[in-house]
Amino acid sequence: MKEIKVWLRYTNNSFQQVLASRTSMIFLMTGKIIRVLLFLGFLFFLFKGAGGLGGYTKNQIIFFYLSFNLIDTLAQLFFREVYRFRPLIVSGNFDFVLLKPVNPLIRVLLGGADVMDLMMLFLLTIAVLFFTLGNFSITPLNLLIFILLLFNGFLVAAAFHIFVLGIGIITTSVDHLIIIYRDMTSMLRIPVDLYVEPIRFILTFLLPLGIMITFPSKALLGILSANLIIVSLVFGITSLFLSLKFWSFALKKYSSASS
Amino acid sequence: MHKYFTVFIVSLQNEFIYRFNFILWRVRNILRFLMTYFLWSGIFIANTSVFGYSQNQMLTYVFMVLIVQTMVLSAPSSDNIGGEIGNGDLSNYLVKPVSYLKYWFTRDVASKTLNFIFAVFEIILLWFLFRPVIIFPTNFAVILGFLVSLLLATVIYYLLSACARFVSFWAPENTWGLAFLVLVMIEILAGGIFPLNILPASIYQLLQLTPFPYLVFFPISIFSGKIIGLEIIKVLLQSAVYVAIMVWFTKFLWKKGMMVYQSSGK
Repeated sequence: MKEIKVWLRYTNNSFQQVLASRTSMIFLMTGKIIRVLLFLGFLFFLFKGAGGLGGYTKNQIIFFYLSFNLIDTLAQLFFREVYRFRPLIVSGNFDFVLLKPVNPLIRVLLGGADVMDLMMLFLLTIAVLFFTLGNFSITPLNLLIFILLLFNGFLVAAAFHIFVLGIGIITTSVDHLIIIYRDMTSMLRIPVDLYVEPIRFILTFLLPLGIMITFPSKALLGILSANLIIVSLVFGITSLFLSLKFWSFALKKYSSASS
Repeated sequence: MHKYFTVFIVSLQNEFIYRFNFILWRVRNILRFLMTYFLWSGIFIANTSVFGYSQNQMLTYVFMVLIVQTMVLSAPSSDNIGGEIGNGDLSNYLVKPVSYLKYWFTRDVASKTLNFIFAVFEIILLWFLFRPVIIFPTNFAVILGFLVSLLLATVIYYLLSACARFVSFWAPENTWGLAFLVLVMIEILAGGIFPLNILPASIYQLLQLTPFPYLVFFPISIFSGKIIGLEIIKVLLQSAVYVAIMVWFTKFLWKKGMMVYQSSGK
């Protein structure tokens, strides 16, 4: 309970900080919206030029892309603080986080939620809802599995960010690693099935971005097998468990550089 | 000149402070190529031709993107200009006998030089792995045109990102907003993901009025012979006009910015 209160306070502070710089917010929001629209436009042209993509219909491709943005933004909303972790480590200011009577992971993982991501999430949720209801018939069971796998994808994203934080403590390098994660997730703007092997396998199970992004969307459309649903749930829980173990290991290696 | 050379050397040394970060930067460079390559490979599984491009032609284009981006779009193009204006650190430079814009341009060139040196090895490695069909131009004028287009693209990119960060003069808290918007536009509209001539003619022509295609798409088009003869001169002139506009606009913004700069935080 205390952790939730602390997280809410962090989130409140972080939201106010972003809202205080309105010019920046306008540019960033415009950039985020334009990015979604430009790639959507590219997908339209691509579909038109290629006359189809890997057996998927145009609506399915758009749905996968919107879902990708939804899941990606959800992870961004909660784990934004990871992007600001390196200065804490390089300057030694992480000492101050460790001194507080709160789990330091809450501060460095969840402590910097971005209100712009919340706005984007709102817009994307509406877009996904309208698009899905208008183009596909969704069964309640598929919707339930979608929500379950969405949460599972959230666990995978959390695990990845915790790994990055751990590596950050050990090597003082976070920036490029997190951008690599961003770059890799952007590969899932199209369904993972469109990639050739072994890339498909790597993206699905080794990284495992397919589980995080493509699987929930496939489940909603009813094209994901029961086996893969179970595998992805096991994967989600295991990866979170391993990442927490790694975080504990990394904390012991913290050398408080520069402080 | 000597002082900027010193800045150049120090910038090169700075890049090696955090070695793991440096290695990851190189990994990223390769990954970016692989991502675009596999995206197109996936699309070509079910199609032999997309927008008139065969898989080999598209692979060659993606490979050329890697080469051009290495030289034009590599960071840290004026990375912290906005931050230094916003927190008042700019004052430290104003009292020194250096031009702030030249200082950052030198750092930009240092970063690009380092990027280029390492990218040569990466490009050779990737070439051996994927064997893209690259036909090197034999005509000296085409090679010269390509090199000039790269130089102009580098300057346009630097000035574009510097201008975007000058917003901090008027909104000190806005150190990243407009720069992000510009980067988003560059990501898609410069031709880094797909050749821009696959777009409908009206959009393609409209894009030529923006600085974006001159950063990646046109240098590749010159190199690969998609643009020939007088067309090359026309594109180079258009790029040069953009450089002139950007130089004027950067100076204009700098002057106006200096009038309102308050060195806040110092």
